[in-house]
Amino acid sequence: MKEKVEKSMYGLGMVKGLGVTLRHFIETYIDDIRWLSRGRYYNDAAIRERQGPNARGVFTVQYPEEKLPIPEEFRYIPILIYDELEDGTHQDRCTSCGICAKVCPPQCIWIVRSTNPTTGRPIPEPTEFFIDIDICMNCGLCAEFCPFDAIKMDHDYEIASYNRDKAHIFNKERLSKPATYYAEIRPINSAKEEAVRLEKEAAKAQKAAQKKES
Amino acid sequence: MDHKSKGNGYDVETDQIVVNLGPQHPSTHGVFRMVVTLEGETIVDLKPVMGYLHRNHEQIAERNTYLMNMPFTDRLDYICSMSNNFAYALAVEKLMDIAVPERAEYIRVMMAELTRIVNHIWAIGFLLNDLGAFFTPALYAINERELVLDVFEAVSGSRMMCNYFRFGGLARDLPEGVIEIVTELVHERLPRKVDELETYLTDNEIVRVRGEGVGVLTAEDAVAYSAGGPVLRASGVPYDVRKADPYSIYDRFDFDVAVRYNGDVYDRYRIRIDEIRESLKILEQVLRDIPDGEIQTGKPQYQVRVPEGEAYGRVENPKGELGFYVVSNGKPNPWRYHVRAPSFINLTALGIMSKRQKIADAVAVLGSIDIVLGETDR
Repeated sequence: MKEKVEKSMYGLGMVKGLGVTLRHFIETYIDDIRWLSRGRYYNDAAIRERQGPNARGVFTVQYPEEKLPIPEEFRYIPILIYDELEDGTHQDRCTSCGICAKVCPPQCIWIVRSTNPTTGRPIPEPTEFFIDIDICMNCGLCAEFCPFDAIKMDHDYEIASYNRDKAHIFNKERLSKPATYYAEIRPINSAKEEAVRLEKEAAKAQKAAQKKES
Repeated sequence: MDHKSKGNGYDVETDQIVVNLGPQHPSTHGVFRMVVTLEGETIVDLKPVMGYLHRNHEQIAERNTYLMNMPFTDRLDYICSMSNNFAYALAVEKLMDIAVPERAEYIRVMMAELTRIVNHIWAIGFLLNDLGAFFTPALYAINERELVLDVFEAVSGSRMMCNYFRFGGLARDLPEGVIEIVTELVHERLPRKVDELETYLTDNEIVRVRGEGVGVLTAEDAVAYSAGGPVLRASGVPYDVRKADPYSIYDRFDFDVAVRYNGDVYDRYRIRIDEIRESLKILEQVLRDIPDGEIQTGKPQYQVRVPEGEAYGRVENPKGELGFYVVSNGKPNPWRYHVRAPSFINLTALGIMSKRQKIADAVAVLGSIDIVLGETDR
């Protein structure tokens, strides 16, 4: 076998390979010229083209100025959704049922349930809700199995901080986001869930009406 | 050890010295140590030392409920999280005795084959890195990987830690536009990239000299070490779990098991190119036949009920046969959970492959096995 290698050692394979390198090198310049009038950087159309299946030339993104488009399903740390009622108050969707804490693989969710101070009965909303962001593995199981659509995964991935102890345990205040924000980052999913909820409410109303009649 | 021996065949008296390559070494792909006994530049003995990245995966899995383990399997072989999910889902589905809807099966195969392409592209790129071609081939190779990871991100929400499979189906259906992107990739972009890699590397004299006849693993040794995947098939054993024990819907597709016969570094590079082509063949058929319909059997549950028993689910991971052995005693968490990790088992053959090679070639041999330390050490 050694002989076979030496027989064909004229460097032709290497020249062919260098041709590929040269093509890559030239392609970046061709791409620059193609985008000359529109601007290759700092606009959405260019980024989409550069990250799509037809991308040529340089793939890189100039990060802080340019950001990659985020697909709807992208998941980062969880957020708690609240509805804004007509009178301006906030209604947590969370009922502190604890399914998210149960399903969480690294067990980083900690919920403090509320009780009515006069009767001592539990109220279906959390007093406190902690997520240890250092432990959270962004798996999205909490959001997937929440029966009230209360906990969802965020899109904001820029959460670096100078503090590394208490600042990384997010409390309810830090986690809470309005339902409008959720509809903004995940339009398709939230529309679907909204439709299901309206359907359920309609069915409930119908049942109640039937009960009244009978 | 012999203090003075005539080991290298030139009747020159040399001392044997022991060199530790790693655990912090750029060529070991992570925290991994090779204890190399050298005579001059020739390797007399090589012992792989693993375990620096041990994080108690199996014990944690026995504490977790069945579903909780799914995101943990992503973190074994973090290059191919989709097919890790696949194997674990298969094992638990076997125990639960549930079927998977047709569309989900097709999507699963699609994701697994895309993962194989990504992994092989990555492996080729980093093999060239180990051969000394610093990062140019690697970056050319992973351009396309980036596009496939975009697909994974759109589908599962994460580029590498996908956590996409569920028992009896998938977490969610494909979002709009994904099929079109995958079609474009499979029919245009990826074949072009494979051809480019071939013209770039296959005939390259340096790759051939560094690869041909280096790190030979004979078919007998490969079987004796129970190596799997490209390492086994490059040694001339056409064993592929997808053909030998067809899981999911692999019996429906028309594809060949790639095999090469020299068992050296060069063949282990060539076989990865062959396998990408076969995967593209499967993907074309998947895209042609994928039906509409459900993607999950029954209602998704956060705590599945798993009857007593044991099951072994195995898939042909890009790196070899990946198996999950799960024993249930009816409780919410597995009683025993074991991973048969392909990188770990292929790595044990490193010693025999590197014997009588030059020390620089040991790095190339390690690169050609294609290990991921997350899976080796668990």
